[in-house]
Amino acid sequence: MSEKEHKVSRRQFLTYTLTGVGGFMAAGMLMPMARFALDPALQAGGDTDFIRVTSVDDLTEEPQRFNFTIEQEDAWYTSDVDRVAWVYREGDEIVALSPVCTHLGCTVNWEGNEDYPEQFYCPCHFGRFEKDGTNVPNTPPTRPLDVYEMEIRDGDLYLGRTVQR
Amino acid sequence: MHRGKGMKFVGDSRVPATRMPNIPKDYSEYPHKTEAFWPNFLLREWMVGAVFLIGYLCLTIAHPSPLERVADPNDSGYIPLPDWYFLFLYQLLKYEFAAGAYTVIGAVVMPGIAFGALLLAPWLDNGVERRPLRRPIASALMMLGIVSIIFLTWESVDQHDWEAAARQGAIVEDVEIDESSEGYEIYMSQQACIGCHGDQGEGGAAGPNIFENDYDAEDYAEIIRNGQGEMPGDQFDGSDEELEILAEWIANDGQDAE
Amino acid sequence: MLQKIYDWVDERLDITPMWRDIADHEVPEHVNPAHHFSAFVYCFGGLTFFVTVIQILSGMFLAMYYVPDIVNAYESVYYLQNEVTFGVIVRGMHHWGASLVIVMMFLHTLRVFFTGSYKKPRELNWVVGVLIFFVMLGLGFTGYLLPWDMKAYFATVVGLEIAEAVPVVGTFAKTLLAGGEIIGAQTLTRFYAIHVFFLPGALLGLLGAHFYMIRKQGISGPL
Repeated sequence: MSEKEHKVSRRQFLTYTLTGVGGFMAAGMLMPMARFALDPALQAGGDTDFIRVTSVDDLTEEPQRFNFTIEQEDAWYTSDVDRVAWVYREGDEIVALSPVCTHLGCTVNWEGNEDYPEQFYCPCHFGRFEKDGTNVPNTPPTRPLDVYEMEIRDGDLYLGRTVQR
Repeated sequence: MHRGKGMKFVGDSRVPATRMPNIPKDYSEYPHKTEAFWPNFLLREWMVGAVFLIGYLCLTIAHPSPLERVADPNDSGYIPLPDWYFLFLYQLLKYEFAAGAYTVIGAVVMPGIAFGALLLAPWLDNGVERRPLRRPIASALMMLGIVSIIFLTWESVDQHDWEAAARQGAIVEDVEIDESSEGYEIYMSQQACIGCHGDQGEGGAAGPNIFENDYDAEDYAEIIRNGQGEMPGDQFDGSDEELEILAEWIANDGQDAE
Repeated sequence: MLQKIYDWVDERLDITPMWRDIADHEVPEHVNPAHHFSAFVYCFGGLTFFVTVIQILSGMFLAMYYVPDIVNAYESVYYLQNEVTFGVIVRGMHHWGASLVIVMMFLHTLRVFFTGSYKKPRELNWVVGVLIFFVMLGLGFTGYLLPWDMKAYFATVVGLEIAEAVPVVGTFAKTLLAGGEIIGAQTLTRFYAIHVFFLPGALLGLLGAHFYMIRKQGISGPL
């Protein structure tokens, strides 16, 4: 029989088999490694505890900067991390804003620039936010400042993690 | 070269037994003034390389590579800046058409188009003409790209406050402040102080470390009252007595006066 | 003596043709600054490679002291720069070389562009060259974090936020690069691995392809 009468020639068959075995070896080697590398991206974020920040009585209409410390777990490294919140009282409501600029993660300051009173100001790309955290149109940020989840127990303010609005 | 029947090999190996003579090619009769890569041309290259290396080493000795203080993710006042060759991209994100709702344009679309066009240049500019003036569109676009990169980098350098940047990154000696002291309590009650100097007095982009100078208490009180440089005066809203305690506390490197 | 050793090896391995092939390829007149001074623009590619070699060597030596760990990274860099003899020079070479390699590569790219050297049949070599450019930028970005000082940390924070702006895959890409939601211990080890193993591996492969193609196709002719 000549080679032409075969649907798949001997050489082709060997080439296919070779490719298959090669593919198996590559997949067998790389699959564990790929999953290994992807692990952090596929892990669900953990819960954060609520931390006491201040007494409710200390809050004013003017946003004040409060520091508090959370225990942060970064893989094998646990550390105490300072968090900052801008907290103010609006009538009976309490608002706790994250200082992280929603543009590129720099830190905003209340009245951080003399030209923009009554606003949060980000020095990196000059983003601005109103007192309630909404971004000023035509400045770089695209969404309002994140707010902290909060609880009030026995007249004390407890803050949890930040949520996007 | 000898081929086929009668070839001789070294032992039972596949290395031919006939040696190729180790003499350079003769370039003298070639048309044009070409020359051998080794050693003629490479020597010239290496002479250029040697001069370059001297300049390079002078640069490294004259300017030790910078190292700021250890990363402190908690320092919220730090104004970041990428390395200089990313500045144009960083600057682009400051403009209205590339920021806000259009951040995608500044961060993805514009660099994507620019670098995509660069990658695909041989197919976008597929004529046979090679002289830059004979393919004006390609040359003009490239010039536009170069000019905008230089312009954006320039703008970014111009807008950055380099003094503040040097201050905020400087390596400072640790000052152990006494957090139970009266001075610290007064300091923490002054929003105007913490805003720029941080809650440990460590300073940041807006103000220096309050402990880094060696003034005495009276000077500090004076500075707090009247301001200094960019620091405004009249920010302290406590009593004169408190101000005195605070000034003592700063002069004493974060401890109450005895 | 040397000649005898050479002959001994050559008899067994026939090495003469290998290196004569490299030595005897001709370099045309129009790229030779000895004939036209303006031909110095053809030096930039070679200088890029020269700086790359310095980067690889100085990086290998820096790794003798450097620890990719957030507690010790900064301390080890501080130590090698301030306590080790010539540390300031070796780190300086790596630091300034990172900038120089970008400058030289930029100039080389412009030379190739404005002499139209990327046209048929050299399209593929241009593409490989642009890929080398991307790899170099990646090396610059990942290397910037490694000293773990203030500017390193915050530049990376901003860089990763830019990555997050990419639609659809942005957040995933950011978490993958940072090794989690926090920019911290895992980010540093990841950037270290990318900077020291993944990207240099890719770079060496691409450089090999780049040089092979130049050798095969020759330098583009005069304008």
